[in-house]
Amino acid sequence: MARVEINMGLNRVEGDLEIGVTLEDGVVVDARTIGTLYRGFEQILVGRSPRDAMVITPRVCGICGTAHLYAAVLALEQAWNLPVPANATRIRNLCLMAEGIQNDLRQTFLFFAPDFCNPRYQDHPLFAELMAAFEPFKGGLHRETLRVTRRVVEIVAHFGGQWPHSSYMLPGGVVTPPDERRVLACRAVLDEARAWYERRVIGAPLDEWLALDSAESLFAWLEAPARAASALGLMTRFTRSLDMHRLGAGIPHMISFGSWCDPLQPGSHLLPAGFYDGDSGRVQALDQARINEHVRHSWFRPYAGGRHPFEGETVPDFQPGGDRYTWAKAPRYGDRVVQTGPLAELLIAGDPLITSLHAAEGGNAWLRQFARVRRAGVELLRARRMLDELAANLDAPHYLAPPPGSERDGQGCGMVMAARGALGHWVKIKDGVVERYQIVTPTAWNASPRDSSGEMGHWERSLIGVKVRDPDDPVEIGHLIRSHDPCLVCTVHMLGSGRKLRFAP
Amino acid sequence: MATLFWMQTGACGGDSLAILSAEAPSLEGLLAEHGVELLWHPSLSHQSMRHHDQLIERILAGEQTLDILCVEGSIVTAPRGTGLYDSYRGRAKMYLVRDLAQRAGAVVAMGTCAAFGGVHAAPPNPSDCIGLQFDKAAPGGLFPPEWRSRRDLPVINVAGCPAHPHAMTQTLAWLTTGLPLRLDGLNRPAAHFSSVVHQGCTRNEYHEYDVEETELGGRACLFFNLGCQGPLTQAVCNSDLWNGVSSKTRAGVPCFGCTAPTFPRDEDLFRTEKVGEVPIHLPLGVERPRYMAYKNLARAAAPPRVKNKKMET
Repeated sequence: MARVEINMGLNRVEGDLEIGVTLEDGVVVDARTIGTLYRGFEQILVGRSPRDAMVITPRVCGICGTAHLYAAVLALEQAWNLPVPANATRIRNLCLMAEGIQNDLRQTFLFFAPDFCNPRYQDHPLFAELMAAFEPFKGGLHRETLRVTRRVVEIVAHFGGQWPHSSYMLPGGVVTPPDERRVLACRAVLDEARAWYERRVIGAPLDEWLALDSAESLFAWLEAPARAASALGLMTRFTRSLDMHRLGAGIPHMISFGSWCDPLQPGSHLLPAGFYDGDSGRVQALDQARINEHVRHSWFRPYAGGRHPFEGETVPDFQPGGDRYTWAKAPRYGDRVVQTGPLAELLIAGDPLITSLHAAEGGNAWLRQFARVRRAGVELLRARRMLDELAANLDAPHYLAPPPGSERDGQGCGMVMAARGALGHWVKIKDGVVERYQIVTPTAWNASPRDSSGEMGHWERSLIGVKVRDPDDPVEIGHLIRSHDPCLVCTVHMLGSGRKLRFAP
Repeated sequence: MATLFWMQTGACGGDSLAILSAEAPSLEGLLAEHGVELLWHPSLSHQSMRHHDQLIERILAGEQTLDILCVEGSIVTAPRGTGLYDSYRGRAKMYLVRDLAQRAGAVVAMGTCAAFGGVHAAPPNPSDCIGLQFDKAAPGGLFPPEWRSRRDLPVINVAGCPAHPHAMTQTLAWLTTGLPLRLDGLNRPAAHFSSVVHQGCTRNEYHEYDVEETELGGRACLFFNLGCQGPLTQAVCNSDLWNGVSSKTRAGVPCFGCTAPTFPRDEDLFRTEKVGEVPIHLPLGVERPRYMAYKNLARAAAPPRVKNKKMET
């Protein structure tokens, strides 16, 4: 059995993140994102049956396991050159969209918005309204989000048996075909979610909202009383009053791996992949060969420059106290630092409203959060289309068993847009078992540390220049980091006191 | 009121997400109807980290009562027993867990990672993970087997990857009553770990007549060839459906035995190890010769609707 050390543990998920910042006169002049957990997921896969990736990798992340499953299965299908029936792709997409809706609503109303209930804002004219909406377990929107998202993940359970952590996609398809019962049960969930989204989140019909195509039309549209009172309206009024549309731009370059495989055109996506060059303002075709990871500032055995995931290595080398400060690697696209997430996804796909807002105000914390709310609408619309297509093709195959001998040695990559952005799995198979497994998560891109040439990661860059009023309760940093949708919770903390604060730990 | 502090160690957050799917009671219901006061949850609390740190200080100083400590995630002990692969503010989280547990009325391991080590402890166990009071199936983890919390309870193992939403909320609700909580031999709440996943599986009739799939994607039983652990695994998955609608085995995904201390097992997870045509590991408590005799008869008795796999599952 071949055992080769491979790339890193996925500490970069789920709450195990600390941010170290240096303040001078209350302004952030330096920032470091610190991944504080090493689990070694990729090493666990080495030597195992390749299919086990469908059980092991969803457990990398409790909130986006469907995305990991999708990426794992695509990597194996590429390695084994397997066709995928259209219905299997539709079901995979439907489930990924459901997980995405769940994420986008929970991130917005359970993780991002509760910061508005900080006593800091008790004199703000909107404070009473904010508390009534977002106070955990008491606010109306908080409670309704718990109820609606609980329903939305039922869609994954109808086809996968449970959410989170199922393994219902497999090389060649999915385990369960559509039938009238499943289609209609999912339809009922979607209809309920859509009605709530229209009534409470945007205060308008979905089609009308998705048809908005310019910054001017949006701001005029938001003036109407129903929209102003909606969650989107309230959040927009409040966050813009904090100037969040001028803060937290971070890195101008963006990356998307493309959203939802096209059921009828293998290899292409319903929303296209691409690299947005922040210097030229142009979208270029994505070339996965340009992806590479650096470890210069990470707790891994050093190597020079960046390595493509197929060639990566992960040897823990824990040396606290020096200039290496995290368990996260630094992924780069060529030599570019990039950001990823719903803003990147919709901008690269050419969403007219997002393109217009980005042109008018640039990337910023408000726009990132706004894009996430908008994507939930796109997902609601697209999920319905997937269901309708399934209904029209109930008898088409959902699974094509791999022909004997197809599960051969080789390599493959699976790339998807998870809720937080670009997610890739790279697998090498030798002697019938996993020789290497490499995962680059969305948060790895966004929470990247400095690279070999000392370039900061996106979150780090987005914090520079931010004014922090109370170093003991740096709510400004909380807003900005949470606008990037860090995995679940992000531990923002600072050490020391006085004029100059040093990094943690 | 029962105060509750939830902390995550080497975790994916799946148990925190799963508990949001509970309905009877829901997490909100635990707070509103069962007198749980949520002091802290890393994903849901909106107070500042300063508040979090002060809360811990007050609990450790005995100024804040801690009735229930929930731990989600493996206990990371690497490198070399320092636990620093999982730290908070430069301190190993395993020590924070240990200190808080000494103050807690009850300690609940939420999920297989906290109970037994879980997926992170799979070979080669890169971060030297263990459970709170077990190391895989062996008694003794972060705490020795004889350790007891303030209410004289061992660590309560709400196993599962993730734990079933109702196994979590119902165990917590029961703890608030002060009534005795019945546990099984692995310190799992007996009510949620006494039936097997096979019970209530809609593929049961296929198993009954020995109609077994050799490929995924079909309607029949997954036990003989595709690695399903349903007949061996104690959990409520098919008697209290996931997300209120289904289960992995109903959908056609093998049960991977995620509530067991050995999860994930070392061999191929989608293949059943067999002697001849019969699985090495038989349904819980079954004798091999009798089982084989029964299977041979069952196959001959199978009606066409079962043999031809005409039944929706």
